[in-house]
Amino acid sequence: MLAAAENAEFGFVRDNVEVTDSMLSKQMSALEHAGYVKVKKGFVGKRPRTWLSLTKDGRRRFARHMNALREIAS
Amino acid sequence: MTEAQPTRQNAAAALAEVGIRAQQVRQADSHLRWMLLALLAAYLVVAVLMSLSPHHGSTFAAVGIMATLVAAVAFAVVVGVRIRAYSRAGIRLYFGTIIAFNLWNAIVTSASIATRFWGPGQPGYHFGISEAVGVVPLVIGAWLLSRRRD
Repeated sequence: MLAAAENAEFGFVRDNVEVTDSMLSKQMSALEHAGYVKVKKGFVGKRPRTWLSLTKDGRRRFARHMNALREIAS
Repeated sequence: MTEAQPTRQNAAAALAEVGIRAQQVRQADSHLRWMLLALLAAYLVVAVLMSLSPHHGSTFAAVGIMATLVAAVAFAVVVGVRIRAYSRAGIRLYFGTIIAFNLWNAIVTSASIATRFWGPGQPGYHFGISEAVGVVPLVIGAWLLSRRRD
């Protein structure tokens, strides 16, 4: 999902991927730690908002992974 | 421990899932069109008010224009804060449309003044016609963004 998005809100990813907050949070922390995902926290009014995006390295890795999947599937 | 290589079926399923997720982002992109449509509606209402206003600068037209612009900005802000995801293509299309609209509007305005289509002696609907021509990039941009739902 993040590969298709320039930026995606945490809640948007959670709702579409159908995982719990804690599960997604754990995955994103791991990917952020690995340098593949950028997590940006902010506020809209008083509401906290977390935006997720892939880093350059994350996009590169994802593209490589997709190529490998295409090779296997073909 | 080594990770098992996915089977052909697993890989095909993963690729299909990537397609579904990309489509969900494209659907979210289509919300950007509402901001363009708010701007489009505001310009058209202003065009109608100016066309119907018998005298340039009447109080009715001035109040109507101000109310329209405030409503359009408020609507665009509400839509803007509700956008939950956007793709690179979607946001480029959105800002590209805004830039194209500004450039095209400047051309239409300049041409209207240079050809004396706009002037003190001209009827109000001339302004409306120019405004209607000026919003063409917004119509195209909103249409292209709405197509991203598919």
